[in-house]
Amino acid sequence: MTAAQQLPALAAPATGTTVTCVFAILGGDGPAAPAAGPEGGHEGGGALRLLPLAARLRALVQDVPAADFTEDALRRRLADPARLEVCARAHHAVVTAAAAGGPVVPLPLATLFTDDRRAVAALDARRQQFLAALELVTGRAEWALKVSAGRPEASAAPAAGHPSPVPAGGQGAAYLARVRGQERDRTARQEAALRAARHAHDTAAAFAVSSVRRRPHGTEVTGRDRHQVLNAAYLVDDARAAELASAVRALAGTYRDLGLHVELSGPWVPYSFTGQTAGEGE
Amino acid sequence: MSGPRLDLDPDSAARDLVGLVLTLVELVRQLMERQAVRRIDQGGLTAEQEERLGVTLMHLDRAMDELCTRHGLRREDLNLDLGPLGPLLADRDW
Repeated sequence: MTAAQQLPALAAPATGTTVTCVFAILGGDGPAAPAAGPEGGHEGGGALRLLPLAARLRALVQDVPAADFTEDALRRRLADPARLEVCARAHHAVVTAAAAGGPVVPLPLATLFTDDRRAVAALDARRQQFLAALELVTGRAEWALKVSAGRPEASAAPAAGHPSPVPAGGQGAAYLARVRGQERDRTARQEAALRAARHAHDTAAAFAVSSVRRRPHGTEVTGRDRHQVLNAAYLVDDARAAELASAVRALAGTYRDLGLHVELSGPWVPYSFTGQTAGEGE
Repeated sequence: MSGPRLDLDPDSAARDLVGLVLTLVELVRQLMERQAVRRIDQGGLTAEQEERLGVTLMHLDRAMDELCTRHGLRREDLNLDLGPLGPLLADRDW
């Protein structure tokens, strides 16, 4: 984690000292003050402010209490789902508000530096990456597409039997025939769902300048009765967003018969498309 | 993230252990069932052998239901999350 690498000197901070938390990098043409105003950011921190960098970039930063952001304190906080959520929501709210004013490169949650001087030095060293990322996302937004399959209808359940030829044997042969029929139905259904997911991805990707497919969420996120088959993000020109939405609507209609649920969401801050360039150090 | 963990409270530890054992038994049962279907599809079995195999597997399936009921588990509870490899038992519910 970036925080761990950047905070080696902070094991025992003096009380009352602060560290610089960076939320995002902004281009030179946006508003001169934080779009969200000085409020917001992490609990207990100071006002949000813009820190000038080289190449007319600005960093959106906040002074946060050093004691809350030591390596230990952070590890404890990020391991606790409830507190992690508070932290992530604060981060996301700041980044989203900033993105309303112009293109941004969001930095990972809890990107910390001991002071402004070090933040500027480290961020300036990565300005080529930030400039490239800003250029990529300017006039574009991230859209997320998720496709999930519902539980099979009750009619497909075992008890309904299967019209496959039941061998003339007894109940044992009948049982095996049923097992085979179910297996075949299930495989056919799953293959259809995966084919549909590929097709949905190809359809959406045609409107995008870049796309990523992620490992689908498990049932702990989707709920027991849904199985996600596509979890992807697309970087789309703002001018093409409406076309994407209507293409996905058309797909959703086609897939409803297959028991598939298609969900497009956005526009999002392009977290998925600034990472490779912004998230890694040299 | 805190996923499901082995709780060391004696009662729930015993239940978790039963769940783990039944999951492995279920894995073997499913493998046997699939293998049986494959053998039959290859046509290598007589009708009588098929019947016996079917009855055995049917009884195993019922026995699993009974064991689950007795230990307060549902069949769909039997699984292990192998992280990046996905679940141990193929998801049969979609």
